[in-house]
Amino acid sequence: MNIDLDFSTIYTFMFSLVSWLLWAVGRVLGFIGIDEGSFFYPIKQFLVDPQFVTFVSYLLVAVIYFVFVFLFAGLTVIWMERKLLGRFMDRRGTQVGVLGLFQNFADGIKTLLKEIIIPRDADQKVYTWAVVLIIATSAMLMGLVPWDDEFYAVNVPLALLLGLAVFSLAPFAILIGGWASNNKYTVIGGMRAAAQLIAYEVPMLLVVVSLVVMTGSLNFVEIVNWQNDNIILLVPLAIGALTFFVAGIAEVERVPFDLPEAEAELVEGWQTEYGGFRWGLIMLCDYIRAYIVCALFAILFLGGWLGPEPIPGAVWLLLKTFFLFFMMVWVRAAMVRIRTDQILKIGWRRLLPLAVINLVVVVLIKVYSVGGW
Amino acid sequence: MAEEVKKRTTYRSRKELKPRLYIGDPMVAVFRTLVRTTINRPNTILYPWEKLIMPDCFRGRPGIRLEKCIECKKCVKICPNQCIQMVPIDHPTLGKVNRPQVYVARCMMCGYCAEVCPTNAMMVTPEFELAAYTRSDLMFDPFKLQYEHKPGYEVHSPMITPSELKAGKTESHDKGDMAIKDTVELDPKKCISCQRCAKTCPVGAITMADTGEVNPKTNKPVKRPVFDNNKCVSCEQCVEVCPKSCLSMKEAM
Repeated sequence: MNIDLDFSTIYTFMFSLVSWLLWAVGRVLGFIGIDEGSFFYPIKQFLVDPQFVTFVSYLLVAVIYFVFVFLFAGLTVIWMERKLLGRFMDRRGTQVGVLGLFQNFADGIKTLLKEIIIPRDADQKVYTWAVVLIIATSAMLMGLVPWDDEFYAVNVPLALLLGLAVFSLAPFAILIGGWASNNKYTVIGGMRAAAQLIAYEVPMLLVVVSLVVMTGSLNFVEIVNWQNDNIILLVPLAIGALTFFVAGIAEVERVPFDLPEAEAELVEGWQTEYGGFRWGLIMLCDYIRAYIVCALFAILFLGGWLGPEPIPGAVWLLLKTFFLFFMMVWVRAAMVRIRTDQILKIGWRRLLPLAVINLVVVVLIKVYSVGGW
Repeated sequence: MAEEVKKRTTYRSRKELKPRLYIGDPMVAVFRTLVRTTINRPNTILYPWEKLIMPDCFRGRPGIRLEKCIECKKCVKICPNQCIQMVPIDHPTLGKVNRPQVYVARCMMCGYCAEVCPTNAMMVTPEFELAAYTRSDLMFDPFKLQYEHKPGYEVHSPMITPSELKAGKTESHDKGDMAIKDTVELDPKKCISCQRCAKTCPVGAITMADTGEVNPKTNKPVKRPVFDNNKCVSCEQCVEVCPKSCLSMKEAM
């Protein structure tokens, strides 16, 4: 795979660190007698090979990225939702530890300690791998969304398209997960979820198409740079932004579009049979995906990491993301759940025309204002 | 138009109903709550650390003053849940006496026992945190049940009789007032001068007085009980103990 990599700061730092460490290891190996002529000499050669150093530095960057995202995105977002929902409902949210910050860790430990139960009649392999699929796609999406023009895991040219493609794997995972549990409720929940997610995938993609027409790129960094040069995209694409936000809420299965989960109606939706740490990870992934949608919105419409200088770009992106998540929580606190037919009606008959109108607006702007293609 | 719609409690047309009912109104209301609870504080009371101030009339678990109790068993009789029992205790100053024991797990804190108690020995306490690890912990024996008396822990049941109302009085009395106290009535024809009522009376309100007659069979003076209504607490002990049922309670009301 040939990805064009520019060694921005974090990569350079990790590369120098790893090469220094491995060079030190090589020195030690030479000191204990593994040197030219020895049987183990190829090991030393392999360790100090520039390609191996690059590989290890990538791995370390990935680990740092993961920890960072899980801490700052996943846990903070969950904490935010709990605290904010509490205030919205005139009560206190979590209270364990300072400001209730340790509640998430306590819950994590609790789910980790639970027994792993697989239903007897379930299709065991599918049952297991559906969770892996949904977790893996969420983790992949985390890697795809950059925090800064210098702080990202990968920077592929077609990042936006790839991201949405990975995002749209969720209905598949949910459907097979619900089917493999061998339970009527999970199957119905999976069906509903698949119908909903596919319905909302379309307007989302149409909005993205309008973005591509506007900026001429599918790369996050270039889109943000375009906004830096011209205008923040929320201004011309307000309709598209609204469509994207509503579709995003539906994509991550949050209220008012939380039929796939629907605690009170379908027991627990498609994840009824999942328990223990799997269930915990699924819930975590829900929040990670919510974070990702918010971050995508911030990057695409609010100028991502653009902002006044002294505050670093990643913090700006986080602030914008958290503001959007606050809007999501607000919607969750205020609205009621929508029926299945209403969900599909809103998806196909309201959001789809809105997305098309948005596309027309973008084309008109492109033709008359910017001056042709 | 908007003001008019706001004042109305129902929505008339579909047009004005939909977006406002499902999106506008709840969003605004919820945001108002957020601002209020963020500036001030949520409605929640952090229970173990903060506690509500109990109202004056709050009735918690029953408590007792062992010295004032006269073993009249009125509380045992009135308890709707039948959770009160008389048990013998060995008290350092009172000696061997019977005192009530309450099974608090079954108690519904109605306060009837305190209300009916003729001497205000039984009272309601402001204690309501009664969690225990075992059921037997909730069996409050007389010593565990006793509670330091503070003014206000008695149950006041102010009442006023119809006759007083007729006479033009409007102030209501409390328990122990002569005007509303049940008094004992004697049927002298049945009485056999056995003196049991005088021996039983816990407050010494009954004395046996000579009537001047002499029993022709035994040549002994015939005595009849005389009731001192100021001392009497209407505990009905004498009525219970009378072998010929010649005593009865005369209701004040």
